[in-house]
Amino acid sequence: METGRKICLLLILLSLILALLPLTSNRSFTAKPHALLAGVLSNETSLSVDQVAEYIVKEDSTIQLIDLRMPEEFRKQTIPGAVNIPYTDLISKDPDIWLGNKDTKSIFYSDNDPEQSFALVYAKGLGYNNSFVMSGGAGEWVRTIMETRFTGERITARENALFETRRRAGEMYTTLNSLPDSLKAGFLESRKFSAKKLDGGCE
Amino acid sequence: MAPLSSYFIFPEWLNMLTAFLIGTAFGFALEQAGFSSSRKLAGMFYGYDTTVLKVFFTAAIVALIGSQFLGYLGILNLNQVYVNEFYVASSIIGGVIMGAGFIMGGFCPGTGLSALSIGKIDAMVFVAGGFAGAFLFTETYPLIEKLATSGYRGPVKINESIGLSPGLFTLLLTVAAAGMFLVAEIAERKFARPEITSEL
Repeated sequence: METGRKICLLLILLSLILALLPLTSNRSFTAKPHALLAGVLSNETSLSVDQVAEYIVKEDSTIQLIDLRMPEEFRKQTIPGAVNIPYTDLISKDPDIWLGNKDTKSIFYSDNDPEQSFALVYAKGLGYNNSFVMSGGAGEWVRTIMETRFTGERITARENALFETRRRAGEMYTTLNSLPDSLKAGFLESRKFSAKKLDGGCE
Repeated sequence: MAPLSSYFIFPEWLNMLTAFLIGTAFGFALEQAGFSSSRKLAGMFYGYDTTVLKVFFTAAIVALIGSQFLGYLGILNLNQVYVNEFYVASSIIGGVIMGAGFIMGGFCPGTGLSALSIGKIDAMVFVAGGFAGAFLFTETYPLIEKLATSGYRGPVKINESIGLSPGLFTLLLTVAAAGMFLVAEIAERKFARPEITSEL
């Protein structure tokens, strides 16, 4: 048999194996580049730490805080209600596991490095439009929620509500992060487990 | 086409060096395979030499099968591979213009540069024509922008739009390619012309 025929046969054989493998169809970026960029750069996709704190204090179940840092950093400073999905995991696995629920707002944050913006572009590009970032990231959370104190003479009703939310969110943060390491690890593990169980659906 | 990694930021010179090395290897392979002769591309049109079809289709199939396997083994993340956007009108019009240019010039852009590198005068004119076309396109872009960007379909893949699994689509395309190669060989026998490259 001549070489050309042999190569043809080999390629058909290999593609036959591929046809039998359980390959999942990869998702494509469906957003038009300049529309995607405009969407990502607009103020609507970025939430302030105060907005996030309000969601946390209200225990709003329509949001999902996603911490993109490495597990060690996440364990050291955990914002209440956040789940840890390191950035490398987010982009290397099927994001539908975490972002598939269209009614839930996914809010990304990290140490305010480009990662949270990359994650936003990635999620929005794949069509998960209910995605946001927490502007300033984890550092801004500590600065605004934990360290800012009211210094004026007269407090307005709005400021009062704002500082009350910060105080309560701060308390939740301190309580969670002052748990002994073993307890905290157990707590985070249980959250991970329940998330996994929910992902399974009716299986 | 892309940076080496979307996670680590490599210096620009490394991206450029990689592109240079791959480009050199590609040009070398084209020249070695005889693609710097415009008879190869013209032969495809007249049916007496279908090497172009066989080589480029085989390259596409090998890349397709290879990337699917690498994706399955977890070595390559196909989610991060850039997929060109599909604009219906410009694909059709651009395809016709490119095809006409191929058959009139006897080169495609890659083989044109390959032939230029060995000093072929027709290739020099061909590449100059390519640059002139690119210049004209850029200068007149505001006039044709509406047409060029009409029918946007996003970076769709064929298997996604017809609802086939990537594996099955690969199999169908490979079988179709094999069938096409058979037809090409029949055409080569029917339209055979004497080999004159050595006399030229």
